[in-house]
Amino acid sequence: MKNIFKLLLMCSALLAVSACTNLDETLVGEVGSQFNGEEPDFASFNGGGAGPSDAVSSAFNQLRESGSANHGGYFGVQSVSTDEMAVTQKGGDWYDGGIWLDIHRHTYGPSNGPIRDTWGAQYAAIGACNTALGAGDLDANQTAQVKALRAFFYYRLLDLYGRVKIITEAGGDVPQSTRAQVFNFVENELLDALGIVNVVGMDLSTSPLGTAQMPYRINQFAALGLLAKLYLNAEVYTGIARYEEASVAAGYVVDNGGYVLCSDGCSVPNEGKRPSVASDPEILEGYAAVFAPNNQDNPEIIWSIAYDNVSGLNMNFAQMTLHYSSQFTWNLQEQPWNGYSALEDFYNSYDSADKRKTANFIVGPQLDYEGSVILDYAATGDDLALDYTVEINELEPNASRKGGARLGKFSFRQGQRNDMDNDYPIIRLGDMYLIRAEADARVAGDWNVALTDVNTIRARADVPALTSLTADEFLAERGREMFMEVTRRQDLIRFGKYNDSWWEKTASAPFRNVFPIPQEQIDASNGTLTQNPGY
Amino acid sequence: MKNKLLKRMLLPLAMLLGSFIYAQSVSGVVSDASGPVPGVNIIVKGTSKGAQTDFDGKYSIDGVDANATIVYSFLGYKTQEVAVSGRSTINITLEEDAAQLDEVVVVGYGSTTKKEITSAVTKVSEEEFNRGTINDPAELLQGKVAGLSIYNKGGNPNEDAVIRLRGISTVGSNSSPLIVVDGVIGASLNNVDPNDIADMTVLKDGSAAAIYGSRGSSGVIIVTTKRGKPGTAQVSYNGSVAMATIYNTIDRLDGNQFAAAGGTDLGSRTNWLDLVTRNGISTINNVAISGGFDRTNFRVSTNFRDAQGILDKSGFKQFNTRLQTSTTMLDDKLKIDFNASYTNRDSEFGFNEALRYAILYNPTAPVYGVDSPYPYNADPYGGYFETLGLFDSFNPVSIINQNTNMGSRNEFTYYANLKYSLTDDIQLNTLYSEQASKYTNKEYYKTTSLFRGSATSPTRKGLARLTTGENKFKLFEFYGDYDVDASDKLKLKFTAGYSWQEETYYKYFLSAGDFPNDSLNYLDALEWSQDQINSGQIEINSDRSPEQRIIAFFGRFNATFDDAIYFNASLRREGATKLGENNRWGNFPSFGLGVDLNKYLQLDNVDLLKVRLGYGVTGSLPSEFGLAQSGYGPSGNLLSSVPNRQPNPDLKWEEKAETNLGFEFNAGRLSATLDLYTRKVSDFILGQKIDPADLPPDTIFISDYQIRNSGQLTTKGFELGLNYDIVKRDDFTYNSGIILSSYSTTLDSFDQTTLRGNLGAPGQNDTNVVLVAPGEKIGQIYGAVWTGEVVNGSQVFADVNGDGNTDASQTSQIIGNAIDADGDGVIDGDLTKLGNGIPDFELGWTHALKYKNWDVNALFRGAFGHSLVNNFRVFYEPRVGSQSSYNFVNTKYADPAITNAKFSSLYVEKADFFKLDNISVGYTFDIAENNKYLKDIRLSLSAQNLFTITGYTGADPEPSLVDRGAVDNGNFLGGTTDPLAPGIDRRYNYFSSTTITFGVNVNF
Repeated sequence: MKNIFKLLLMCSALLAVSACTNLDETLVGEVGSQFNGEEPDFASFNGGGAGPSDAVSSAFNQLRESGSANHGGYFGVQSVSTDEMAVTQKGGDWYDGGIWLDIHRHTYGPSNGPIRDTWGAQYAAIGACNTALGAGDLDANQTAQVKALRAFFYYRLLDLYGRVKIITEAGGDVPQSTRAQVFNFVENELLDALGIVNVVGMDLSTSPLGTAQMPYRINQFAALGLLAKLYLNAEVYTGIARYEEASVAAGYVVDNGGYVLCSDGCSVPNEGKRPSVASDPEILEGYAAVFAPNNQDNPEIIWSIAYDNVSGLNMNFAQMTLHYSSQFTWNLQEQPWNGYSALEDFYNSYDSADKRKTANFIVGPQLDYEGSVILDYAATGDDLALDYTVEINELEPNASRKGGARLGKFSFRQGQRNDMDNDYPIIRLGDMYLIRAEADARVAGDWNVALTDVNTIRARADVPALTSLTADEFLAERGREMFMEVTRRQDLIRFGKYNDSWWEKTASAPFRNVFPIPQEQIDASNGTLTQNPGY
Repeated sequence: MKNKLLKRMLLPLAMLLGSFIYAQSVSGVVSDASGPVPGVNIIVKGTSKGAQTDFDGKYSIDGVDANATIVYSFLGYKTQEVAVSGRSTINITLEEDAAQLDEVVVVGYGSTTKKEITSAVTKVSEEEFNRGTINDPAELLQGKVAGLSIYNKGGNPNEDAVIRLRGISTVGSNSSPLIVVDGVIGASLNNVDPNDIADMTVLKDGSAAAIYGSRGSSGVIIVTTKRGKPGTAQVSYNGSVAMATIYNTIDRLDGNQFAAAGGTDLGSRTNWLDLVTRNGISTINNVAISGGFDRTNFRVSTNFRDAQGILDKSGFKQFNTRLQTSTTMLDDKLKIDFNASYTNRDSEFGFNEALRYAILYNPTAPVYGVDSPYPYNADPYGGYFETLGLFDSFNPVSIINQNTNMGSRNEFTYYANLKYSLTDDIQLNTLYSEQASKYTNKEYYKTTSLFRGSATSPTRKGLARLTTGENKFKLFEFYGDYDVDASDKLKLKFTAGYSWQEETYYKYFLSAGDFPNDSLNYLDALEWSQDQINSGQIEINSDRSPEQRIIAFFGRFNATFDDAIYFNASLRREGATKLGENNRWGNFPSFGLGVDLNKYLQLDNVDLLKVRLGYGVTGSLPSEFGLAQSGYGPSGNLLSSVPNRQPNPDLKWEEKAETNLGFEFNAGRLSATLDLYTRKVSDFILGQKIDPADLPPDTIFISDYQIRNSGQLTTKGFELGLNYDIVKRDDFTYNSGIILSSYSTTLDSFDQTTLRGNLGAPGQNDTNVVLVAPGEKIGQIYGAVWTGEVVNGSQVFADVNGDGNTDASQTSQIIGNAIDADGDGVIDGDLTKLGNGIPDFELGWTHALKYKNWDVNALFRGAFGHSLVNNFRVFYEPRVGSQSSYNFVNTKYADPAITNAKFSSLYVEKADFFKLDNISVGYTFDIAENNKYLKDIRLSLSAQNLFTITGYTGADPEPSLVDRGAVDNGNFLGGTTDPLAPGIDRRYNYFSSTTITFGVNVNF
């Protein structure tokens, strides 16, 4: 009796509580599904906004998230591993576990942070592309753009790591591909996006990609430019040279794109000018204008990444390269980090008349906004004046805080925030000229074949035309033009010089031409990813 | 026990008869050998009817059945059960119980006596608490409970201690023990004043905690507050005043030494630490009124605290009040408890960074710009000198004087419990409680402050930050007990119940800068922020949790046989909103068995020889919500989303299974307890990178980050407690106790081998120093071994693997290093284990001495075997030539030949310590029996942290059990803590202090 009564009472009490076993979780402070807004007018933004927003914008936004122009990722891995630049260890500053010394000296391993993060960032971007494609609401042009964009991220993986997994849709494991397979995938995706089967003799009249000039989006010329870069390096990736295709693709862009080299008369106001410093030019013209903070309308840019300081974050070159006290030259909102500087030999490879030299580097005594000498109270010795020396005393451990020309190509704006406003070109006309030149020369077996295009580029830089050309001279010219545009590693590999010794780097083994697959990824893959040989 | 009496319970007839017998009142006096005993608990068995003796030992209970049994219990005495047998006056003489086996211990959903316990449980009463100025109730227990680690590194008054029971119990954030305050499960310790606590009980092992379910997976601390006693109202006052002085700091060069060592001499000689620290004065005032009348008793207390830290402008003012009432109704069948408490704390957090920069700032730099040796315009910096052009360097005096960092917090809790005795054998309990905690933090950085105020910015100067939020917690529980006396020797008890809890919070954050001047503290005039016209500068964030519920059904069975064999088993079925929809419910069993062997062995002079074995499984959850759902954040242009979390519908409970074997031994003056345990945490929940290709088919891939059941870890340990009455005389007693504990945790499975704990900037980014690898212990500090040789200013590292060259890079080759994680048989690098952040042994040694009116209490505390990465030394001990404006740390290890900073074995120090944690001397005045106004007065003098014996050269050798990450250049410290990276002594830790407290207790 008692037991029954007890049970009854307990049960009724339980039932009295509503939602007795309700465990639904409804998120209220976080979005649980994908969202794409619309921005009304594509034409009205001027670089101050991040670009058009539509179903594919979250995929294109990944260009900024993937380390293209900030510290610690793709840009650093591609650039610091070459003879363009280094991140020197300044005593207690910038040792950072040796990651940048390792990258510069080619002693990197599979747990190197930037190498690890670069992988993750590219796959995150690929994931966004897959999501956009999988949603099924894209028109033919959008589909073609996102496929080309995804091919671009795979091109980066192909170039850096070689053997990766090609994931094109959600779920399901795929085996690790060979480098040649990844190359074929990227090639086919780009051809597919263009609606052609081969660039030789191509007919683009029915291409889903248009011809309108869209700096932040992919048109026919952007996709062809990407193909040109791919074919140029095909021999490295697959062992099979594809220079003819490289030349055709680049040549088509040069001849039909309607883009022009930005030279005399092509200028923008110099937003870095200090009013009281007379030597600061009023305008930036030619080569310098291509990379200026207000470069969004530059006629040379075919496809670029939209950066700005509000909604297009993550370009941090000023912070990465400038000395702490250089804050007072540009009135920077925050103190820079004094990290990256150009190597002495690279700086000296420029003619003194070369306009690219002044555009690309910051050297010499530094003045503040008022024109006064900047003092560095933490300097060693009695010389407190901030003066960037071309020479760097050593790579480590006690590199001078003032040593090395600083990276000034993407020039700075007065009062700039951490995040810069300059758009970062992925495909630009100057590169296309040089790709055509190199590809033609390699097909002909004669570097003089490249002279016309090379001299076009040199003319814009105000350096005299060459009358003959060697492979080394071509490589040097390409280096001068493409500084900070992440082609140097590819170029050195293609010319067989990546493993050479330079400055404080000793010769490295050929297996270093691909980076190690990040250990974290190998660990997570349950044996389905294997390490590149040599690591 | 009076077994004969129990027979009655088997006979329903007797029950029936009993109810016809006339109810009467019973009164009497309870005394012991030396006279009347006040405060004795008296309960009519099988009812909630009861009383307590007054100051003269007298008691009286109405409506007692003539054939009822009355139970008399009091701490330190043997419990007595006496049959009424129609008497109206019952006088009792209590016998002392050295082993206190009948001491009542509160456990989950009920209480039990000490002898019946089958699991590792430790109760600490008020008289055993730590003395002195204690603002965090957890610190009352420091060094008192074996296996309970409590560390507040440096002792910042605004920071809660890190509490760990038996080490790391989960890698998620929910590693602190569950707090139960007067039955409110999951209560906040911040809403309890240490003065109001009567005792605290720690449930250590899985079988004890299992009944609390997932919330108890990191152990349980049950707090019982003081209660009112029937009789005349009693008023008591406690007050204290204390002074804290800095105990230890970091050895560094003074101005002259710095200049001589090649540092940049800026002409002045400044002791920065003196300029930002002080003697902190704290006062505590507490008034409590308690009493009772008829069937109701109550206690009301009010506490005021004003605590100052040793850092300038750090401390808080707190008001707390607590009401506790208890009443019986319906012929004493219904007992209602109602508690409420409220806390208001206004904090001035100050800036720990001032301590950091006081150590590293150039000791030859002037405080003010006018004293600069170079042309220097100090106007933009509020008149202060700043080392412009140096990373991570701020004038500490300017930090403190120019900026504000304050906050306020209000907490309110109420709790109601209805206990109904349906019959003598069946009791039903219903409880409901709510807690709400609101907080607001405000920071303002002046336009002239280089530190966070962006004084160097051309336009955007000044910064205001506001954070506000509320946490709410509701708990409803219903359970019933059914007692069965099955036979003379066998007693059974069944408990079954239902539990429902819901937690919600919201949080708003606003950061805006660019203020016109410093005429106002713009926290309250945000409309002046010019950020409003500069897009992208205002930082705003809001966050609200879903209703996070945990629902459980539970049952428990207790059996006592022959008053010597105790068995219990429980099962809890529990579900949580956060888990994947396929796996929300889990079943968690436990059992415990205890045998009093002495009952059968009958050893001479032995009071107790008990063996107990417990096993329990609990679930565990991280504190974040939405673990199993997809999550998207806004993209840079805010017009579309970026994925940040892959959904995981299969996410299931993290499970902790713990086995505990315990021995208890009491013989006369000696008592000892030994516990051995092993604990396995499986399927622990952790966010991880995933290979998208690993996802099942048809899964939509949105992010390579997913929160998953990620691995397993095992902890093994032991705890030993010894207690001995060295002297036991009428006017002189001296008792000493030692606790000793040890554990180690191994990561059994995890699919990553990695280093965690990034040391940070300048120069030590990507220098991760704590190994996380399957098969390895948690907390191993990992790095290169310095050979003692220096070449060109650099340390020469040992060729650990003997391959002829040295690869001591902290990041690039960790795979296959000394642990050969890649299993290829080749040890690739030259890193090795340099120490462990978790102590091998932790020791507490208490002394309690009473001589006439004097009492002395002392606690020595120590931890041994742990190491710390001394960050001040890593960064600033090398005589770095290229930036000679940081001061140099100068410990006994300093080697001026080392001129560049690289983490190595040189900076990993053993941090064993032994300290006099607290000591107090009290004197109780003799008050005449007939004094109408005063009952007693006690004065005391206490000292905390009088001395620490250690070889560690940092400020405080206490272990760092969790890591809060690196922060530099005036940036803000993140809120997350990493339990997998213990052992890092960060540059932002507070410095330890010594506190002297004078206290007065008066009872009226």
